[in-house]
Amino acid sequence: MKRTLKKIYLAAALRLVHAAICELPKLDKKAGEECLSLPAGISYAISTGYKAPTLFVQWDGSKLRRLREEPQQRCCKLFIKTLADAFILLTGRMSLAHLYARHGLIVAGEIADVMRLARLVNLAECYLFPPFITRRILPELPRLQASPLRLYARIFLGFLTNRY
Amino acid sequence: MQPPYFEYHNPVKILCGENALDRIPSEFYRLAAARPMLLTDAVLQKLGMSEPLLKILKAEGCPPVCSFADIPVDSSLSVVNRIAALYRENNCDSLLALGGGSVIDTAKGVHLVLSGNTDDILSLSGMENMQRGKHIPFIVIPTTAGTGSECTGVAVIRNESQEVKMEFLSPFVAPDAAVLDPRMTLRLPPRATASTGMDALCHAIEAYSCLQKNPLSDAHASAAIRLIAQHLIPAVENGANTTHRLCMALAATLAGIAFSNSMVGAVHAIGHALGGICHLPHADVMSVLLPHVMRFNLPKASQHYAELLPMLVGWEKAASTPNEERAKAVIHCVEDITARLHGLCGLPVRLRDMQAQRNDFPRVAQTAINDGALIVNPASLSAEQVEQILHQAY
Repeated sequence: MKRTLKKIYLAAALRLVHAAICELPKLDKKAGEECLSLPAGISYAISTGYKAPTLFVQWDGSKLRRLREEPQQRCCKLFIKTLADAFILLTGRMSLAHLYARHGLIVAGEIADVMRLARLVNLAECYLFPPFITRRILPELPRLQASPLRLYARIFLGFLTNRY
Repeated sequence: MQPPYFEYHNPVKILCGENALDRIPSEFYRLAAARPMLLTDAVLQKLGMSEPLLKILKAEGCPPVCSFADIPVDSSLSVVNRIAALYRENNCDSLLALGGGSVIDTAKGVHLVLSGNTDDILSLSGMENMQRGKHIPFIVIPTTAGTGSECTGVAVIRNESQEVKMEFLSPFVAPDAAVLDPRMTLRLPPRATASTGMDALCHAIEAYSCLQKNPLSDAHASAAIRLIAQHLIPAVENGANTTHRLCMALAATLAGIAFSNSMVGAVHAIGHALGGICHLPHADVMSVLLPHVMRFNLPKASQHYAELLPMLVGWEKAASTPNEERAKAVIHCVEDITARLHGLCGLPVRLRDMQAQRNDFPRVAQTAINDGALIVNPASLSAEQVEQILHQAY
């Protein structure tokens, strides 16, 4: 039961992170630059464990589109080894760097593509979590260019209008 | 402080000491191999470094079936794929690499292609994503004391089309055995001894201070630093001394084991980018960048740096240094070693000494922030901060 609840949370959290990355470029110049540095057509598969929620997204040059299934072309796959680690990561108790440092991540694809995504996820975390949380997990906090509330509002509207 | 979780892996058998080369045939026998392919580079072949090895292999009935001696300084993905094809053509059953970092990393790439049963190494890129493939017996003989590649689970190979050095990370990259024979580094010129030794020092310091550090990698890193502090300058001054040579070879291996289990950091991330774009020698770049990156990391890694002072200057001197000054003293110590080596053999101390061009720095910085080594650096770096470090080091 506990495992099922965790999976439900993880599926929701993945959707939230995806929505945040979609909205961030409109609020934060840095996020916009990071998105533009993604190779056009690249896709990511982020899996939170064996038989656990997975997010498939593809950068089409202007938007990070969510896909229903694993893309066949250039795909960078990030696989979190355990559900527990994925839960710790997506509840803001560990950064992607620390997850990597404790061998919690399997990557298939180019490491440079993972680094690009990691910077975007770090930035999204800074908006999604309050500073007392991000200060504990990130070595440095960037200056936010907009209020996190504006991001949450945009995400809320985005979900209402089925934008993601 | 004990990390909440860590992993440690070192599958390499180390044959270390006098006449270690003589034991290679018995290692091949143990690994059920008799038709090795020899990989080396043209300079080593010209210097006759492979002669004693070939003599031993011939005498014991396992001479190389074929050789590839054209491995360039910064080897590339296409070279790896070409060698793998040659291996298959000649029906070899094992790999024997004799050389420095480039030869060993190329051999690791070939090993990956063969054991992964593929034709293109690019299909295997990633981190910890490879499954154990077919076992290809694999022995390496380092001829420099620096890269530590003989014991690491990483192969760094240049991608010519993207002008980047790519890292292939997997515990299955490591060879079965590494042979540290002092005869193999005796003829290394003072300048190369200095730069490769500084490369090893960089591995050990980064391994000791990065996010993936753990008690076992710390033990290897600190042992390596102690050996380097004691033997690097004497090895440069007196290259014929087998004790200094062997201790440096061992230090490089220890540092290799350390960083294979804890990764490196920003020095390597920036260094890989400089190597890929400006084609600067890896070890020289490490030596130049190390103190600058340490200064940048100081606010986040001061405690770790401070712990290294006794390894560099001895317990007595370290004890007389106030605790809050120890981290800075370590950086000064690294600068002092570099300056002494500069005086002894002309080791570069600035990037401009190596013909680096300032106008390449923005591109280098953009490439460096996408290097995997940066993820475990104690402080996070933006492209602007990488450029700043490059200008400071210029």
